[in-house]
Amino acid sequence: MAVKLVANYAKRLGLPGYSSHQFTVSVETELVDMGDVQGEAARLYNLLQDAVDREIQQVGFVPEGEYGAANGKGAPSATATGNGGDDHWVCSDKQKELIVKLVNEHQLDRNEVDQLAHERFGVGVKQLNKLQASGFISELLENSNTGKRNGAPPRKAKVFYRGGGR
Amino acid sequence: MIQPVALKEPPATVEESGALDYISASRLKMFSECRLKFYFRYVAGIVKPPVPALFVGTAVHAVLQQWNLRRWRGEPADVDTLRGFFADYWQSEAAQRGIDWQGEEDKFRDQAWRVLCHYLEQTPIPLDERPEAVEVKVERDFIAAGLPPLVGVIDLVRSGGRIVDFKTAARAPDAQMAEHLNEIQLCCYAVLYREATGHEEGGMEIHHLVKTKQPKLAVTTLAPMSNDQARRLMKMIVSYVRGVQGEDFVPCPGQHCAWCDYRTECRNWH
Repeated sequence: MAVKLVANYAKRLGLPGYSSHQFTVSVETELVDMGDVQGEAARLYNLLQDAVDREIQQVGFVPEGEYGAANGKGAPSATATGNGGDDHWVCSDKQKELIVKLVNEHQLDRNEVDQLAHERFGVGVKQLNKLQASGFISELLENSNTGKRNGAPPRKAKVFYRGGGR
Repeated sequence: MIQPVALKEPPATVEESGALDYISASRLKMFSECRLKFYFRYVAGIVKPPVPALFVGTAVHAVLQQWNLRRWRGEPADVDTLRGFFADYWQSEAAQRGIDWQGEEDKFRDQAWRVLCHYLEQTPIPLDERPEAVEVKVERDFIAAGLPPLVGVIDLVRSGGRIVDFKTAARAPDAQMAEHLNEIQLCCYAVLYREATGHEEGGMEIHHLVKTKQPKLAVTTLAPMSNDQARRLMKMIVSYVRGVQGEDFVPCPGQHCAWCDYRTECRNWH
C-alpha cells in the first residue's frame, strides 16, 4: 500500500495601507522509505519555504491611501472598513499608523480586526474616535503580545503612566 | 533601610531631564504642591521605592482595571475570578518593587482585598453597564499655544461619558475637599476626553475606596468641567511650564511635608 506525505506551507505578510498578501503551496508525495519520514518532511519544508519566499517577494498591486474612496472600484468591503470604503480615519494619524503597523507586523486578519472594533465599540476601525482608538490599540497589543488576557497582570507599558510616575 | 534609587549622573538641565516632554496631571499636581519635590522627582530623577500604602493603591487599581476590562469585553467579572487575578498580581509585582513591608505584607494584602470586596459589593456601577473606555491613554496637542502636549490615562469612562477616577484613602473624604484636591486631575481628563471624542463629558466621579477597618466607599459626583475651571487649568499649565523652564524650584513647606519622601534631600537643599 502506498503511503502519502502531504505538506503545505503558507506565509502571510503585511503590506502598506492596511493590507496584506498570502501565498500557500501544497504538495503530496508518495513515501518510498517509511523509515525516513522525518528526512522527507524536512526536505519538503525547505523546498516549499524556498518556493513561497521566492514568489511572495512579488507584492503586485498595493493600493494607495485614497484607493477606493473616489470611484468605488475594488474598494474594500463595508465589513473590512466599517465605513463603506471611505478611507478617512476619525482617530489621530499617530493612532492610525500604530493600528496599521500592528495589523501588518502581527499579520492580523483585517476582517477579524474590524469585527473586534465592532464588538467593542459598535463601529469599524476607521470610525473609532481617539478615545476608542486608544482602547482598541491596547486590545490589539494585548492580543498580539501575550495571546492571553485572563488572569494576567497588566502590561508594563501601562505602568509607565500609573501612580506617581506619570 | 531602603535607599532611594537615584540616577548616577543627574541630568544637567531641565531639557535633558525630559521634564517638559509632556504635561500630565501628576506632574502639574506635584509642581503645585511643591516645586522642589517636583525637581527631585522629575528633573534630578530621584525615584523612591514605593511605600506599602502606595502599592496597595496600585494593586487595587490593577484589579479594578481588570474588573472594568472584563465587563467591557463581556467576560466573567465575578469576585472569585478577580481574587485569582489579585493573588497573581500581588505575588508577581510586590516582589519586583523592593517594598519595605516591615513584616506586615499580609496585613496590607488583606486590607487591599477587603476594600476591593467592599467596592465590588457597593459599587454604584450596574454590572451590565458597559464601559465606554477603560484605562485609556489620551493626548491633547498644545503646539499652537507653544506648550508641550497634555497626556493622561483615564481609569474609566462610564456609559454617557462619565469620567471616573478610582482612589484609595485612609479616611473618608469631605466631598468639597475631594473636588478641590482633585480638580487639576479631573479637569485634565475632561480636556483629554473632549479632544478624543469631540464631545463634552457627561460628568465626573471620584470613587474613594476607604481603607478603614470596616471599608467604606465614598463617591463624589461632579458636573462637567465649567469654562471657569478650564481657564483655571490653562493658567496653571502655563504657570507650570514657565516655572519649569525658568527652573523655579523652591520648597513649599506645609502639611504635605509630613509624608514627603524627599525630606532629607529638601533639608540639604540651599
